Amino acid sequence: MYRPGLFDFMKSGLRILFACFLVIAALTAVADAKTRIHIWHQMLYENRKALREMCDRYEARHPDIEISLLYRETEELRSNYQSAAMGGSGPELIYGPSDQVGPFSTMGIIKPLDDIFKPEFFARFVDNAVVRYKGRIWMIGDVMGNHLMLLYNRNLVKSPPENTDEMIRIGQELTRDLNGDGKIDQYGLVWNFTEPFFFAPWVGGFGSWLITDDGQPNLDTEAMVSAFTFIKSLRDKYKIIPKESDYEIANAMFKTGAAAMIINGDWSLGDYEGVVDFGITRIPKVSATGLWPTPMVSTKGYSINVNVTGDLLDKCADVIRYLTSDEVQYYYASKLNMQPSSIAALKSSAVTENEELRESAKSIEVGRPMPVQPEMRAIWDALRTQYQAVLGGEKSPEEAARLSQLNAEKQIRDMNDILDPGPSVILIKWILPLLLIILTAFYRKQIVLFFREFHQQKFAYYMLLPAVIGIFSVVIFPFLFNIMLSLSNFSLRTFQNWQLVGFQHYREVLTEARFYGILLKTIIWTVVNIVFHVTLGVFLAVLINRTLPAKKTLRTLMIIPWALPQYITALTWRGMFNQEYGSINLILGRLFHLSPIQWLSQPFEAFSACIITNIWLGFPFMMVIALGGLQSIPRELYEAARVDGASRFQQFRKITVPMLKPVMIPAIVLGIVWTFNNINVVWLVSNAGEPSDQTHILVSYVYKAAFNLYRYGYGAALSMVIFLILLIFGIFFMKKTKATGTVL
Amino acid sequence: MNKHKIETWSIFLFLTFFTLLTIYPAIRIISISLRTDNAFQTKSLAFIERSESFRDENGNGVWDKGEPFDDDNHNGRRDAGSGFKAYFELFTKTDFPRWAWNSFFVTLMVTLTGVLLASTSGYALSRFQFRGKQFTMLSLLTTQMFPATMLLLPFFILLSKLGLINSYLGLIIIYSSTALPFCIWQMKGYYDTIPVSLEESARLDGCSRFTAFYRIILPLSSPALVITALFSFMASWNEYVVANIILQDPDLYTLPLGLKSFQASLSTQWGLYSAGAVVVSIPVTILFISLAKYLVSGLTMGSVKG
Repeated sequence: MYRPGLFDFMKSGLRILFACFLVIAALTAVADAKTRIHIWHQMLYENRKALREMCDRYEARHPDIEISLLYRETEELRSNYQSAAMGGSGPELIYGPSDQVGPFSTMGIIKPLDDIFKPEFFARFVDNAVVRYKGRIWMIGDVMGNHLMLLYNRNLVKSPPENTDEMIRIGQELTRDLNGDGKIDQYGLVWNFTEPFFFAPWVGGFGSWLITDDGQPNLDTEAMVSAFTFIKSLRDKYKIIPKESDYEIANAMFKTGAAAMIINGDWSLGDYEGVVDFGITRIPKVSATGLWPTPMVSTKGYSINVNVTGDLLDKCADVIRYLTSDEVQYYYASKLNMQPSSIAALKSSAVTENEELRESAKSIEVGRPMPVQPEMRAIWDALRTQYQAVLGGEKSPEEAARLSQLNAEKQIRDMNDILDPGPSVILIKWILPLLLIILTAFYRKQIVLFFREFHQQKFAYYMLLPAVIGIFSVVIFPFLFNIMLSLSNFSLRTFQNWQLVGFQHYREVLTEARFYGILLKTIIWTVVNIVFHVTLGVFLAVLINRTLPAKKTLRTLMIIPWALPQYITALTWRGMFNQEYGSINLILGRLFHLSPIQWLSQPFEAFSACIITNIWLGFPFMMVIALGGLQSIPRELYEAARVDGASRFQQFRKITVPMLKPVMIPAIVLGIVWTFNNINVVWLVSNAGEPSDQTHILVSYVYKAAFNLYRYGYGAALSMVIFLILLIFGIFFMKKTKATGTVL
Repeated sequence: MNKHKIETWSIFLFLTFFTLLTIYPAIRIISISLRTDNAFQTKSLAFIERSESFRDENGNGVWDKGEPFDDDNHNGRRDAGSGFKAYFELFTKTDFPRWAWNSFFVTLMVTLTGVLLASTSGYALSRFQFRGKQFTMLSLLTTQMFPATMLLLPFFILLSKLGLINSYLGLIIIYSSTALPFCIWQMKGYYDTIPVSLEESARLDGCSRFTAFYRIILPLSSPALVITALFSFMASWNEYVVANIILQDPDLYTLPLGLKSFQASLSTQWGLYSAGAVVVSIPVTILFISLAKYLVSGLTMGSVKG
């Protein structure tokens, strides 16, 4: 057993460890003389390079300034910036779409710009590029757009449709089965139609809008019902769009010519350049109303962190002046085909002679500005749920319109609600310290004994302490902080001045019917997963634990799902579950001639897809544990049983199962806890709970409540409830199976 | 052929089939990374797609052995081709090598710390009876029960107060601690299977407690140490969420963060992303494959070994 090589490696490893810590300490001590200005942004891949070039130019002119850029995906940019600004740090400048202005200014984490710049500065820009909210200016845009248009493949569509009747006619002509196998190979139209942002223009086309000017949801309208019905008819009646489509598939179909037209935003144009010969036009006029659909137009731009003051503030203002200047905008327009926000740049030949920009500007003309109110998030969320329910055939358009209005109103109430301290605050403030004192008094003896025995067992404690201190310092503070949050009113409107309010959040969690539904789903999720993990794991272990050709190779290959990073495999599975393009349906179709299963757009199927993915991820762990257990069972036992005439099954039941039990039970306990709290798979496979938020388990629901709807206090309370459920289960299960006997 | 042989072969066939199913998604990722047109979706099930882009100047295809090109979709466009373009770009045009080095450094530190702490504390829990032992074991399990996503905000606040944002130290502390509870459990389980008499005789020969542990027990526990190292490695190599809040300087990015930067909500560089994913997965897979035998012998979870 002795392995000097490995062991010596460890010894030298320790030396390296200490040396490296010293090096880190030394490196961080090196001071920097330049002023560093950090910008966090969410620009697309190509745009990032252009931004870097522009910043390099600025640095060359201002040698004392260094601009550091950080890319984060839009949602992460938002939540990271919130945490950072709350902790008093974060980048000096933040760049993003205009709709982040609502939440950021409400939280008080960006500065009003009208104090910093003169009115003449703002006058240089088109009106929508100067983002106002509640009477102040918070952001200044460097590009306009982000709007949806109709793009068509010129090889297939000779003249683009003017109105929806024409669109349907052209669509039907071009939706074809090309090779005669009874399946459609080319669609007339495709787009990410299940996502509300891609649906919103039609609401305008039918004569209404999602939100009123004073920030109230406006979803229960005739126009909404007509728009729901219209999209459904495109799919079910005219059959010109595929049954299931997300952004990636729509994109791939248009690129490969499998779709003649696509509704997509200005950001996608660069992607199609040189791949498809395409034309740009407005989304066709709705024939029934004679109105143009209204794509949302937003600006993207810069805001200043509230923590920036003094000299640094002037430098930041200068950087903004430069990055929104005509010089930079010309460059973006000519290089990236971006619609400028400055009036002068718009009139320049770089824009007027650029056909793409000209066509895309026509869509901006009929568009509506993206609402900046924080309430918009609740509206999107409520609309997404009900709209997907309509598409799934679970609700009628009328009912869905009514419910989306009701839910949006409720979510806005929840989001904006500022809880007042209840009577239980006094209880908490007094009882918690009191409890602590009582506990100390109660365990007085033990504590004294602990310190007395410390000397006797010094060795054991010294061996144990570093790890225990490490673990608990990392866990204890966040845990206590979380308890505090759960008792507070921390949310969108109390971001900077929250206070303890009592047990209201717990009451809310425990009285909601929703919670019990999701709890039930979580239990099903955990039980199904663990049952499959364990039976599959043990089954495979028993099969493989014998003389077999290529035994080691097989065993090793089967461990691979465990080895691969989950964030990669989960996304791959999502791709494989796609209705038309996913390999699962393709294989099922070829082998068994099954009609395609709608894995990702039906609640039950989507949840099953998550479970299948997780079973795949989890069985190797159980298999390995079971293999280890099997190898420790003495062979003589089986031989003796065989002599006594026991059948295979009897041997399995009477020897294998009882001998495996002590090995498997701790693994099962851990497995249950891990599965119960596994957010990755559900979040990535079902794309954050789609369809209609019906694939959530408790942890993903917590995440959504806390980070998407700014309800940190509520999320904290819910996570405490999850913790208590698992704790009670753990204690109960360990007692029942006496697992403690073997483990502890 | 006797009955035994038939049984062996049918089990072999079944297991081979099952293994193919198991590794299919992995193969899929590799196949995506070999496409040239930055697309995640395709109707083709082929591992490597036939394409014109791989024809040489004489028009002879590299993959299609000179077969005429089929315009399957009758749309005048060729289907996606394949190649190693994404891999080439990954190493020459992105910061991938730097991310890999950062990840390597952080992971090495975490693994060493993890092995050091888990081996000592597991030993204390296995060999000594002391006050608070039961409590410690249970609370180690308890730490696994809290939804980790809710710890992020407090983590961030704590680390920014300590000035550990944008530093590997904070990252290393958190990673080591997240892998530790499991590693300690697992080390303790393994020590339990080593007879106490070994140390006792060493002590009689005049060894100190620590020397007995260091010279006798630790070398005997190599399989379990390997597992502990592997778990610590995984906790750090594949971790994204914590790194995402702590590291705000692109120069410090680890691999998962770097890979994520190829992803944007509506425009992902799929070629780069999946090529990166394949490269990231290679070290982990090699580790797993080379350590497979330790996985079975070292991962005891409280079993009784002879």
